[in-house]
Amino acid sequence: MKIIACYSNKGGVGKTATAVNLAHALAASGRRVLLCDLDPQGASSFYFRVKPSRKLSEARFFDGDEKMVESIRASDYENLDILPANMAFRNFDVFLSQMKQPRSRLKKALAAVRADYEVILLDCPPSLSTLSEAVFRAADAILVPVIPTTLSQRTFEQLLAFFAENDLPTDRLHAMFSMVQTTKRLHADTMAELQGACPDRFLTARIPFATDVERMGIDRAPVTATLPNSAAARAYRAVCAEVVVRAGLDRDTGTA
Amino acid sequence: MPRSAHDCILLDPAAAAALADTPLGLLQPVVRDAVPTADFVALDDFDQTLRRSGRVLLEAGGMILLLQPDGAMLRQPGPRQGPSVSGLPEGPVKAALADLSPLRRLLVVGAGGLGRVTVAFVDDEGKSQVRLDLLSLQVAAGTALTIARPQALRGYPQAGADLRARIADCGGVPMATDNLCERLFPVAAVYDAKPVIALQADQTALDAATAIIAAYIPVARANEAGIIADHDTEFLHDYRIALRKIRSVLGLFRGVLDDGQTAELKARFSALMAPTGRLRDLDVALLEGTTYHDLLPKSVHAGLDAKFALLAEERRTARARLVQHLRRDGHAQEMAALEDLFATRTALRPGPVAALPARAFASRLIWKRYRRICRIARIIGPDTDDAEVHGLRIECKKLRYLMEFFAPLFPRDEFRALLKPLKALQDNLGLVNDCAVQQANLQLFLHGTGKRGRKVSLEVAQGVGALTAVLHRRQTEERTRTGASLAQFTSPQTARIFRGLFHAPKDRT
Repeated sequence: MKIIACYSNKGGVGKTATAVNLAHALAASGRRVLLCDLDPQGASSFYFRVKPSRKLSEARFFDGDEKMVESIRASDYENLDILPANMAFRNFDVFLSQMKQPRSRLKKALAAVRADYEVILLDCPPSLSTLSEAVFRAADAILVPVIPTTLSQRTFEQLLAFFAENDLPTDRLHAMFSMVQTTKRLHADTMAELQGACPDRFLTARIPFATDVERMGIDRAPVTATLPNSAAARAYRAVCAEVVVRAGLDRDTGTA
Repeated sequence: MPRSAHDCILLDPAAAAALADTPLGLLQPVVRDAVPTADFVALDDFDQTLRRSGRVLLEAGGMILLLQPDGAMLRQPGPRQGPSVSGLPEGPVKAALADLSPLRRLLVVGAGGLGRVTVAFVDDEGKSQVRLDLLSLQVAAGTALTIARPQALRGYPQAGADLRARIADCGGVPMATDNLCERLFPVAAVYDAKPVIALQADQTALDAATAIIAAYIPVARANEAGIIADHDTEFLHDYRIALRKIRSVLGLFRGVLDDGQTAELKARFSALMAPTGRLRDLDVALLEGTTYHDLLPKSVHAGLDAKFALLAEERRTARARLVQHLRRDGHAQEMAALEDLFATRTALRPGPVAALPARAFASRLIWKRYRRICRIARIIGPDTDDAEVHGLRIECKKLRYLMEFFAPLFPRDEFRALLKPLKALQDNLGLVNDCAVQQANLQLFLHGTGKRGRKVSLEVAQGVGALTAVLHRRQTEERTRTGASLAQFTSPQTARIFRGLFHAPKDRT
């Protein structure tokens, strides 16, 4: 079983869209997937039409309580289950900071369901916090969407610096360009610069800026499901193919 | 989610349609997937292996579906590449049909229309909380039913429970409690190559003999249409076995009918079998072809193919001749006359032991045959001639027939305890014989290849030589195993059971 986090310390970079479509593409490839919506805003849950779980408090989430397992909902897609967000998740940081060994708590909490899934995908809230650190410790791969703009570039560099300062495993950090507009010179220049500075860090696949992705809020379904032949869907499937290799899913025996 | 035995439920089509249209509490039904009605055919072999085991195999719209007795449904893409189960593409259905004989053709046992729809019951967010698969079967004969499969979704236990309760209210019957095949394709009688003959201990030996023969004549006749249609080679095989069993009764039940009538009937049944011999030999030779292909080097395959092409040609002629024979009025009249003879019994002439009680008579025959096998066993060793081993095989076959004929007269468990080592011994002897026959056939093949004006190539000779060596080694190994099986079958422990069952003081005459 592998844990993959969709993370960015900056909001609005297409993180949830990536988590949702990646989860669907992985499930469509025959892998059993759990998408954990850790963002209290619950955007992933919304896209899959799953209502928030009212009974799952932060205490129950991290204590390995049965309530966490009971809160998992089947999605409308084969092999894909959702752990919906709820507003209690907004207190994760406070709660974790009061616990012993807060950074390893998330991995322990997820152990309760590891036998049921081959991939656990974490849709993380945009912050650099105790929860984020727990995610970094728990994940086998951290996928960071980066819009090729100056501000995003700066945020990504901050993240790299944070990993270095805190002795976090930078080899688990994988970046991908998101909301790319090929007509913009700035986007092309930024992508070239970042790829030059961080060779091998960025995926080859790039997610275009597309209305089809925006429409997910109306369709409330992954674009890989509703418009499988669209450019966006093809790009997400290409991301999925690269993530499978980078996260070691292609050689995972399922016993990890 | 694993499926339980109650997952598939049979419903009346009208009830199923209403179910798919009616909200489930606050959940609204939404059709998610609908496959339009397609023609289907239902398949089974002549032994009705699927019907007997409560399974239904359907072919529809390029897909192959298997409905299992526990309610599970397997499916895989078609089409079939051959007439038997071996011709199915690899997949879950083929894996679940591993018990079917690859020699048997899958025959069409019924036809109709099949439609499938999946209904999701969704909440106010449009999210499915439970799904319902409905498979509708409309049989050409007029029967229609729907198989409902509720699919609970993780995290929504209440919706799953509500749907099950609703289905139960609609009169659903768990599929596991019903034989779906019987419902869809009822038949008056199912072919049985080994009919159970209800014998009573106080019946006479003549009663037993006539009951057995009367039961096996229809078995032979049931195979005639399949031989004529050339569905598969098992029809002729079963036909011959049924006739051979009848001949065994006439031969083994000596004195039940008077000698003159016994000789006359043996001749008549032999005459029925005689035209089938060559075709059966060719069937066996051609079935061995695949084995040779697998075992011999590729360099020999061309020669092998040419040889088997000739055999196939000869088979066509032999089959045409047999079909002509089976279609003759004379054949039908002879079969009808024999059927009538054993059904009415008025023309049967009882022999000196006709009035013996069946059980005592059976005990005497079985005990005598067992002791004969024990006597042969004492002289069988690793170096015994093949012909003597073959003789032992024939004796075992006769004993097996006797025991199977009279099984209803004896305690089931003890009888089974004796049949098991006998079957093991027969398996060993059968394999020894197969190896010997294949070696002889290979020599004939080698001889035949050279005879057709072409010099036997070195590769062919080497290939055949190598295969003969393999077969000889197998035969020797099997002979060793035969020794162990024979020792088991003639052991004091087995002999004690035989003696207790068939040579008790009351049976001694």
